[in-house]
Amino acid sequence: MNSIAYILLITFAGAGITFIVHHLIKPLRDIIAITVAASGLYFVIQSLTEKTKIVFGIADFNIIWGNTPYSNLFAVLIAVLGFLTILYARDFMAEKERLGYFYMNLLFVIGGMYGIVYSQDLISLFFFWEVMTWSSFLLVIYCCKEAQPIGLKYFVFSAIGAYSLLIAIVMIYAQTGNLELSNILQNFGNISEVNQIVIAVLLLTGFGVKSAIMPLHVWAPDSYSISPSPFTALFSGALSKMGIFGIGMVLFKFASHSGYFSYVKIILAWLGGITALLATFYAIFQTDAKKLLAYSSIGQLGYIIIGLAVGTPLSIAAALFLVILHGAFKAMLFMSVGAVYFRTGTTDMNSVTGLIRKMPLSFVTMLFGIITVSGVPPLGGFAAKWMLYESLIQSKHYFLVIVVFAASTAAFLYLYKLIFSLFLGQEEVEWSHVKEVPLLMLIPMLILSAFVLVAGIFPGLVLDPISHAMQYLGNYGFKYETSVLFNEWGNKINMQTVINVIGAVFLIAGLFVTFKGLKKTRYVTTKDIHTSGEIPEENENLTYAVDFYKPFERAIAPALKASIDKIYTAIGNNLEQAFDFLRYVYTGNGQTYAMYVVLFLSLLILFAELIFGIKL
Amino acid sequence: MSPVHFIAIPLFAAFLIPLAGKVSKELVKIIPGLVLLYLSFVSVTLFPIGTHHPVVEIIAGFKPPFGITLYYGAIAAFLTTLITLIGFVIWLYSYKFIIREPIEKYYMLFMMLITGSTGIVLTGDIFNLFVFFEITSIAAYSLTAFLRDRDGAEAAFKYLLIGSFASTFFLLAIAIIYANVHTLNLADIAVKIQDVPVTTRLFVLILFLIGLGIESEMFPLNGWAPDAYSQAPSPVGAVFGGIVVKAAVYSLMRIIFLMFNSHDVLHFLLVMGIITMLIAEMSAMKQQQIKRMLAFSSIGQMGLVIIAFGIGTEPSVRAAMFQMFNHALIKSLLFFSAGYLVFHSGSKKISALDGLGHDKPITSFFFAFGALAIIGLPPFSGFWSKLYILLSIADAGLMVPVVLILISSIIEAVYYLRVVSRLYFYKEEATDVRRTPVSGLIAMGILTVVILLVGFYPNLILNWMTPAAADLLNKASYIKFGLF
Amino acid sequence: MEINWSAVLGIVFTPVIAFLVGVTYGGLTRRITARIQNRFGPPFYQNILDIIKLYSKESNINHGVMQHLGPVFAITASVTTLFFIPVIKDSPVFTNFSFNGDLIFLLYIMVFGSLGMALGAGQTGNPNSAIGVSRGLSQLVGYEVPFVMALVAIMVQFQTTSLNDLLAVQDHFTKWIIFQSPFAFLAAILAFLGMMGYAPFDVVIAPAEIASGPPSEFGGKYLGLMLTSRSIFTFAKLVLFTDIFLGGAHDFITLIIKTFILYMIPVLTGIVFPRFRTEQSIRFFWSWPLFFGILAILVVVF
Repeated sequence: MNSIAYILLITFAGAGITFIVHHLIKPLRDIIAITVAASGLYFVIQSLTEKTKIVFGIADFNIIWGNTPYSNLFAVLIAVLGFLTILYARDFMAEKERLGYFYMNLLFVIGGMYGIVYSQDLISLFFFWEVMTWSSFLLVIYCCKEAQPIGLKYFVFSAIGAYSLLIAIVMIYAQTGNLELSNILQNFGNISEVNQIVIAVLLLTGFGVKSAIMPLHVWAPDSYSISPSPFTALFSGALSKMGIFGIGMVLFKFASHSGYFSYVKIILAWLGGITALLATFYAIFQTDAKKLLAYSSIGQLGYIIIGLAVGTPLSIAAALFLVILHGAFKAMLFMSVGAVYFRTGTTDMNSVTGLIRKMPLSFVTMLFGIITVSGVPPLGGFAAKWMLYESLIQSKHYFLVIVVFAASTAAFLYLYKLIFSLFLGQEEVEWSHVKEVPLLMLIPMLILSAFVLVAGIFPGLVLDPISHAMQYLGNYGFKYETSVLFNEWGNKINMQTVINVIGAVFLIAGLFVTFKGLKKTRYVTTKDIHTSGEIPEENENLTYAVDFYKPFERAIAPALKASIDKIYTAIGNNLEQAFDFLRYVYTGNGQTYAMYVVLFLSLLILFAELIFGIKL
Repeated sequence: MSPVHFIAIPLFAAFLIPLAGKVSKELVKIIPGLVLLYLSFVSVTLFPIGTHHPVVEIIAGFKPPFGITLYYGAIAAFLTTLITLIGFVIWLYSYKFIIREPIEKYYMLFMMLITGSTGIVLTGDIFNLFVFFEITSIAAYSLTAFLRDRDGAEAAFKYLLIGSFASTFFLLAIAIIYANVHTLNLADIAVKIQDVPVTTRLFVLILFLIGLGIESEMFPLNGWAPDAYSQAPSPVGAVFGGIVVKAAVYSLMRIIFLMFNSHDVLHFLLVMGIITMLIAEMSAMKQQQIKRMLAFSSIGQMGLVIIAFGIGTEPSVRAAMFQMFNHALIKSLLFFSAGYLVFHSGSKKISALDGLGHDKPITSFFFAFGALAIIGLPPFSGFWSKLYILLSIADAGLMVPVVLILISSIIEAVYYLRVVSRLYFYKEEATDVRRTPVSGLIAMGILTVVILLVGFYPNLILNWMTPAAADLLNKASYIKFGLF
Repeated sequence: MEINWSAVLGIVFTPVIAFLVGVTYGGLTRRITARIQNRFGPPFYQNILDIIKLYSKESNINHGVMQHLGPVFAITASVTTLFFIPVIKDSPVFTNFSFNGDLIFLLYIMVFGSLGMALGAGQTGNPNSAIGVSRGLSQLVGYEVPFVMALVAIMVQFQTTSLNDLLAVQDHFTKWIIFQSPFAFLAAILAFLGMMGYAPFDVVIAPAEIASGPPSEFGGKYLGLMLTSRSIFTFAKLVLFTDIFLGGAHDFITLIIKTFILYMIPVLTGIVFPRFRTEQSIRFFWSWPLFFGILAILVVVF
């Protein structure tokens, strides 16, 4: 036995045990779930130093599990986020129903993700992919009746994705007769060019669904917003990265041979760009915090896909850096919004306001989160954005870089709205009872906040494993130091200097402001403001949050008119109606059925030549 | 022990049961269980023997091709095992489920169904095949109307109507064959039919296709199925889906592989399978009644099996058998759980199932489990058989059926998951206090465990499937052993 | 450790000079505007007096920690931006940290301040502040896009993202980027109008309408710090544009002349034009400036 076997065994067995324990001894359930996740984390860290391979046969296939630097990168992400979300779930979910179901599926999802990254053959990849899909589906529908159609939509899209993977797998099997990764990678070039492209596109579609590339993204906003917050953190932070994992494998390991492939890459990059831009626009007009974050997630995944599709060393590094970082900051944001939900019972940005003084640490988490997303220095987001822009410019994607930049500038809008509506603004009486969330929920948030800070100052620490992963992907090397990044033209950015300057100025100015007239300064409520002489009542709502970006909406309204979601809905409804019509083939009338039999007989006899090639 | 037991003992039991009914009701219930337990034991013991080397049993002393023979090869071994084991589980389930009189008739008909099905699988004689078919069909008609309500009677009548077409055509085909080759032994026919004029052969083929196509639920001959499945008592639905159809498809394929093994015929089956599957899955989508939905799903699954048979390669036939196995298990599980769900909700409507998940957590769990399994999600057994079917189709160089199968899987997922959603998430208060009997739960539990076990370790079944597929495809060996 | 005294000198004096120049420009603007409007206007040092007055005031209230830190964020951004721009070309004193950053860093650090301010303004709870922030951020999206296009065009043309490299390229006035890449300059200067926030793009603070928007709850030391930051930031932006398009400056006189000319563009435009609504200004930035930006990139590519 080695680490990987332990990881999978413990996680899956742990899932089952948690479910059973829930029905026997309820208090033990959380402890077991946390232990399982923690031991998963432990063994993942163990596995980093070893290079292992497990081979065994199931059915006619060799199942191979093993780790590569690339999979290690993702495994660490899964393990850390998995552990933190379960930690977070402990208190968040405490009052909820069906906790056995919840924890079991959460652990199944985590196990499925481990399985995906450790699979070295396509059968087990698909196996775990499906396990992850249905367990996450069960979590999406966990909450309530409203979640059912949303979950179904998620499942249908996942199934479309999974089945295009399956078709690709089946094609690969038909072409190479083998489903072991090492073997496929060797023989992939021998497949005919057309088939290579078809397989690659199918695989990209399959993985693309999970990473919510437009136009396959429509499941994401609703599914993210309706699923329970701890899971949403994992969903957006780690689960969506499984799509990225696969896309990376396809782009750099599978289909690097064919000449036509560059076109696929360009299309993919632009899809990523459009995804990033439109998702950001949609995010701006959301009123539900989780939905906003969901769109934000889609947008961020768009950046990652651009990075991968562009395929220069720096852009891949940027993409993988974002993978890790997005895992961290999106989990932070979802956890922070979850914390708000935990205390207020809603994530509606129009109704919750002014929580900053009541939930300061959740606020700090969200602040760090939005700074990271926005890409403003000094946190980690800047390093990622910097690498992405530089690589796009230097690989001659001039218009793409504009699109990306427009998207990330527009991101300021929704990020500000998020933090403003929930934490800043008027402190309303309605939320005066709110207090900070329990320690166990704070710990994951603060750990992740610390991480994004470190990743911002010393991006090199995160880039070390990434450069190993890129070695595995195809010998991509790029230059970096612990806190200095270089672009392909040799220009550099020194994060250490940046943080020193920012820190020093901030400190000086901050001390000045704080100590000047320190004793006399007192806090006044948010009702005590300049209102042109009107004195607002205690219960008067002065919050400006509804239609926060109306002017912006007016400016870009034409761009938002077309809705892919509506097209899909129309297709779905029409199909269902068509099916309903078809149902009346079965009239329920015995005579009709008898007529079918006779008709069928006569048809067979009449068209015998056509069907069987022999004239009757 | 010999394969004759599979036919003789349930037949004997079928006659015994009404007599036992005079003595005690409990006896009526227990006899079939004992019989099926014994048969399961026999099938498991004989299994390695049959798989290794076909056993040909001669009835009444005449040597083939004159006498009636039983051909117990790998595939017969597999199917009898499947039938007896599923039969046993169905009995276990029926034990508390069938509380409505006349119980002895139910069990008698049930035993006849088992007799007929094992007979179909075992016989080496085409007329004998017809006889067993009739036994099965008549038992099935009667069971459909078992509840003696209006809908049941109507369904049974439709079944009877269409079923009589099947019998007629089947008999006609046999008559024509006999007129031409003067033998009824399957192996003998397989040898001699080559000399029959092509047009006659074709006509016979068409008659077989229709006659057996009706029983194997091929579109557009399957009009009877949705009604019969949904109006019969739930365990009978499981019998139909798990046993009768399997036997019918087997006999269709046996006849085609023995007598009409041509690409065109297989392609025809492939196309019919696809049409059957698609139309059934689409029709299932909007069904209002849960058992009707299951019926359509059943038809769809049989379409899938026919597709796999239609590919006609060894891997695909093996995959088809594997799918039959899984479908028998999973569909039985679904019918079982649906049976109690309908019973508890007091209505056949899907909309009446709201919130039963809280009320009847275990039964609902079994239904959800079955739904996930039949969609073909890992780690349940359905995953592997679907995967094998797809791989074998792609191996044969066809991609269109792969895509269509997957599309139908998505449709399947939609309507199953809708029901699961309803069970758990639509209503939150408990209303019914009746409990699902333990015997029913055990029956479902057994199926669940097997489904999971096979899902994690498909070799368990797959290893036995290879000789079975070879047995079905290898005409020469059938002729060799069938005629000595 | 050896201390590089010339660098220390730069670090100490750059912000001071920037502040003085910026604040004087601000005063001159008031004066010039007044003269054009046929008023006398305050003396050019009025803004300095204002800031001194503000610092000497006692501020007794605040609305919480984010409001407290808002001006700090603003000044951090201004000063940091300034430090990463070479103020005087080839001068050991006034290049500061410009070798450790590049244009993309500048793009981001420049918005750092406004975002920080926005957070501070948000905590005050004043609806006018929130309205102002909403408008400001929307407008930001408007003008950043053409600005970035101009920068991308220039970066691609000269194959560098470093300001020092760009300065090195423009060693003769015929090689100024304004002449080498006129479309980029057009796009950038139009974006610059938005960046400076004078009319017609002053809907963000619109004093008569939303009570000067984001800063409306700030007074005393907070407002003083904000105005200081604003002066420094104005100077930083002017130097940045001078460095990019006008070849930078070898001495202060040239710098003052070039920056003043640049500064007059938004000021004079502002005097002539009325105020745009937010969506109008966004649409404006996405019409001609965007067109020039695309043209600039196309010229470079082909």
